[in-house]
Amino acid sequence: MQKNKARSRFIVACVAPAVILSFIFLVVPTFNVFRMSLYKWGGYSPNKQFVGFDNFVKLFNDAKFFQSVRNSILLIVIVTIITIGFALVFAAILSREKLKGQNFFRVIFYIPNILSVVVISAIFSAIYDSNYGMLNSFLSIFRGADAEPVYWLGDQKIVIYSIVGAMVWQAIGYYMVMYMASMSSISESLYESANLEGASRIRQFFSITIPLIWTNIRTTLTFFIISNINMSFLFVKAMTNGGPDGATEVFLSYMYKQAYTNSTYGYGMAIGVVVFSFSFALSAIVNAVTKRETLEF
Amino acid sequence: MKKALSILLAAGMLATALAGCGASSSSSAPAAGSTSGSTASAEGEYAGQTLKVAAIETAYGTQMWEDVVAAFEAKTGATVELTTDKNLEDVIDPSMKAGDFPDVVHLAMGREKAMPETLIKEDALEDLTDVLSMNVLGEDVTVGEKIIPGFTGNNTTDPYGDGHTYLMPMFYSPCGLFYDAGLFETKGWEVPETWDEMWELAETAKADGISLFSYPTAGYLDAFTYAMMAEAGGQDMFNRALNYEEGIWETPEMTKMFDVLTKLASYTDPSVPSNANGDNFTKNQQLILDDKALFMPNGTWVVGEMADAPRAENFKWGFMALPALEEGGDRYSYTFFEQCWVPAGAENKELAKVFISYLYSDEAADIFAASNAVQPIAGMTDALSEENQLFYAVYDNGAKAAIGTFAATDPVEGVNMKDAMCFTMDSVVSGTKTQEDWVNAVSTASDALRAALK
Repeated sequence: MQKNKARSRFIVACVAPAVILSFIFLVVPTFNVFRMSLYKWGGYSPNKQFVGFDNFVKLFNDAKFFQSVRNSILLIVIVTIITIGFALVFAAILSREKLKGQNFFRVIFYIPNILSVVVISAIFSAIYDSNYGMLNSFLSIFRGADAEPVYWLGDQKIVIYSIVGAMVWQAIGYYMVMYMASMSSISESLYESANLEGASRIRQFFSITIPLIWTNIRTTLTFFIISNINMSFLFVKAMTNGGPDGATEVFLSYMYKQAYTNSTYGYGMAIGVVVFSFSFALSAIVNAVTKRETLEF
Repeated sequence: MKKALSILLAAGMLATALAGCGASSSSSAPAAGSTSGSTASAEGEYAGQTLKVAAIETAYGTQMWEDVVAAFEAKTGATVELTTDKNLEDVIDPSMKAGDFPDVVHLAMGREKAMPETLIKEDALEDLTDVLSMNVLGEDVTVGEKIIPGFTGNNTTDPYGDGHTYLMPMFYSPCGLFYDAGLFETKGWEVPETWDEMWELAETAKADGISLFSYPTAGYLDAFTYAMMAEAGGQDMFNRALNYEEGIWETPEMTKMFDVLTKLASYTDPSVPSNANGDNFTKNQQLILDDKALFMPNGTWVVGEMADAPRAENFKWGFMALPALEEGGDRYSYTFFEQCWVPAGAENKELAKVFISYLYSDEAADIFAASNAVQPIAGMTDALSEENQLFYAVYDNGAKAAIGTFAATDPVEGVNMKDAMCFTMDSVVSGTKTQEDWVNAVSTASDALRAALK
């Protein structure tokens, strides 16, 4: 009995710092975001005016907010599909096939992850440059030197896909390494017997590799969708700042503009609440949809 | 014993971890940015008092602020804690949100974080009207007498239009169109004086593969559109537009302005919207230096900003007010000036006002002018370099000055005049919006803001 008490005291002492810190830095601010979304407040003065759900009503009549929602969802869907798809294929090739310079590729693919988003944005701004950029120079081989350049960051129909390019390039390496790790734990004997049965490489990939790393894919998917909301803000902020004329505005960049530039802090927090609920709901949906019986071998 | 020790250690760990979070105002200096505080000699009228000054670091550098602060300390015996940073908002914002305000802040409107605008909307600025009637520290003239007329009593300094001054005008710069004067000499082109001449020149330049117009970011068009409003409708209409008068954007005068803007968009270098953001805007400025575009709207700081950039042979900065709408018509140049203000929550307001009065003294103005920062005091431009004098001479050469900004309103969720007025330009240049869309966007924003006028 005495020992048990001491034990729980020890556990409490060990856990307390983390719990207290996360309470102060996680729970309290989140609660505050929810609370502030009910006020009309600029951010500095003591005059906070309680307006109930006014901010949310205005939000759902705000065309610019819906533009940012559309862009965010587009980025989440496209970037996720392309990144996870490529990461899986590359991981399968690098871990299953005997390639020369495997480790070299592994490092090369991982490098974008070490770079900061600002550096990547600068690199891609240079690549996308309409006059001197690599992409347009390359395209001019086919289109002729006199063709009107493509305005990757200026044409409102293209610009969001230009951001997709940078985001995919940044994320592939990290997820590839994650998948390679779990692929290496799949027993070699499964592939050997599949070979004997005459299954093709592609068949093996879909029938052995994917099902056996499914738990990993599920986790990374949820991860990725959440981080995508943050990453898209960073990329947009550094590459276009939401421009031209709001064409690349995403959730958080719009929230930032409303909370600061437009002096409507409470309204910004209302956007924060919507984003918060949206990410929660989306993760729950993804989790439910991708639920499979865990395979063991 | 051991258990007690381990609990003690855990508690100690927790305490040290948390100690980092709490900031005691007495012992810790402001966390970020460069901070210099020095103890002045114990003499002087304000000995023993401490003043917290926060100033934005711009192209003018920070040395001038350090020098001015040192001179002020020597004069008054007060201690000044100076905070300077390029992103000043990020440095002072957290403590301001927590209720700890600097006494004097030098930070202009029109920045992305819009701190002074927010404080105006929140009624959180100190009334500085009495500073105008105070004597400049160490001199026998009042602050109001020293400031060039027109720099106070406008929409910017008196945001509520009630005759009370809340923001003091600081370093000013005429805004207009910058161009390569060397290129005009080489080509034998005349610098256009009316918009019609401008469009003719556009066609001539087009044949040489040069675009007429470039802009750093669409945000820079604010000074441009202000001057255009004044040009199209005169000072009176300009003021009415700034107060969001109903139906003003559909008047024939404002239609003339939108006609010019739309035509200008069609002559804008097509690559401009791609680079019209905070990280790549220098590429748009570079178009002028490379003779790829003829004109751009900007302020005099651009010369320093692009000082190290490569440029075309014979490049020489040229600067002019906006061309007139018709032969012999008025030409306008918008006067941009930075502002200095006192938050209502500041502790040492009295000393803050004395400090502000000192900023207009000959001594301080000379220190500022040495860094090319010009106070709105008569005769200050004489101390400038020849190139800079050329810019400031624009008003002596017949251009009229437009001063003021859109009237302050209560914050309106999702509505921003600058977005509607300026950033729509990007869409018009790339062809996704028409002049009609533009006028509609501005009218809608104007209507929403009129309802929220202070």
